Amino acid sequence: MTDIVIKTVEELKSAPEEYRDAVAKLVISHAVNELYGAQVFDEPAIAYAPTPYAKWLTCRVAMEEYGHHVRFKQLGIQMGIPEERMMPGGTKKPLSIFEFPLKTWEEFVAIKLLADLAEILQVEDLLHCTFHPLRNLARATMPEERFHAQFGEDFSAELVKTPEGKARLQAAVNEYWPYLPKFFGGSKSKNNEIFRKWKIKQRTNDEMREDFVKRATEVATKYGLTLPEVRQAA
Amino acid sequence: MSNVVSHLPTILGPLRAEVHAASWFAALGEPLTEGDRADCKAYADAEDVALVTSWREAEDFLKSAEASLDWWNREEAERKALFARAEAQYPKRALWTALTELTTEAGDLVHGKAAMAAARLGGAAPASIHVAAGAASQAIYQLAVARVAGETASLFESKFHLFAAGRWPLGARGSRLVLF
Repeated sequence: MTDIVIKTVEELKSAPEEYRDAVAKLVISHAVNELYGAQVFDEPAIAYAPTPYAKWLTCRVAMEEYGHHVRFKQLGIQMGIPEERMMPGGTKKPLSIFEFPLKTWEEFVAIKLLADLAEILQVEDLLHCTFHPLRNLARATMPEERFHAQFGEDFSAELVKTPEGKARLQAAVNEYWPYLPKFFGGSKSKNNEIFRKWKIKQRTNDEMREDFVKRATEVATKYGLTLPEVRQAA
Repeated sequence: MSNVVSHLPTILGPLRAEVHAASWFAALGEPLTEGDRADCKAYADAEDVALVTSWREAEDFLKSAEASLDWWNREEAERKALFARAEAQYPKRALWTALTELTTEAGDLVHGKAAMAAARLGGAAPASIHVAAGAASQAIYQLAVARVAGETASLFESKFHLFAAGRWPLGARGSRLVLF
């Protein structure tokens, strides 16, 4: 039996254990990674932003990313997940990209351009989730995620106007791109199999990764950038 | 320690009420008043106030070389000093959580107010609504840090006054403040 729809957190209590565990894993993953992203990239980027306009725009983006963490954490708390598991230092290991602290404005622009596109795909896959509180949270988050990717496009368009700016942005893309396809997990992920079994998520990791590479290539090409070759995750 | 943590809502509760009562962005495009001048003097010791009356003008200023970052760096140094004082008084996680929850809630509120002001005046780039919301959210965060640190006379009080009166201080250069 996999045709299940859970409309409230209260209803979740009577769902099968495998379903509850799967939903909890996703909520923890989003809460932790949104927080790491805001702490490692968005908040430090404010100092690198070149004008007051860019600084306040980055402030807002950082606050929205922190806000995503807060929303996922609040859902997790309602579900009975201990707060510690949704914070740094918990059992959830952060994505490897967060181990490389931000050094330049161009790196931040590259991250918004490409890493936030990866985030959009992850959130898109939850828009039809059978656990409606998570589906609704994904729908609330999506416009902000799209704006963050647009932020990356807008500032990329600015940077590529000069050869020096374009070279710095390309160098940042070269540095960060290799970490991004791994966002989507392994090809034989047991977790993904369970997510799809219960229609919590819709696509396999490989399908999402393939779609991401295609969309990222399109957006990079739009600004005259290239993506380095990456060995796919096993 | 738990008594200290429970003190945070007592400090931030009144600020939350002030945030909800403020006239965010309601005076954009309006003529300068004597009250505005007094707030500008208190905030930036500004003898001269340059009034910006459209979103386009505000965007041009904020993206221009004229928009010096000296005032930004001064405020950031002040915020860091106040944050260090706050961190010395409260557990890091409790402080961080209280500030994040306040600014998340306030950020959504001021974003809506900025969008309303943009619709009323017209001519704003979509990203500028986010910029305005970022500026207002930052002002709230700075004031929250100051209040938690126990500082009642910081420049962030008078900065918040300007926002609460419906204005948006865009930046200072010397004794001149640019106000929307």
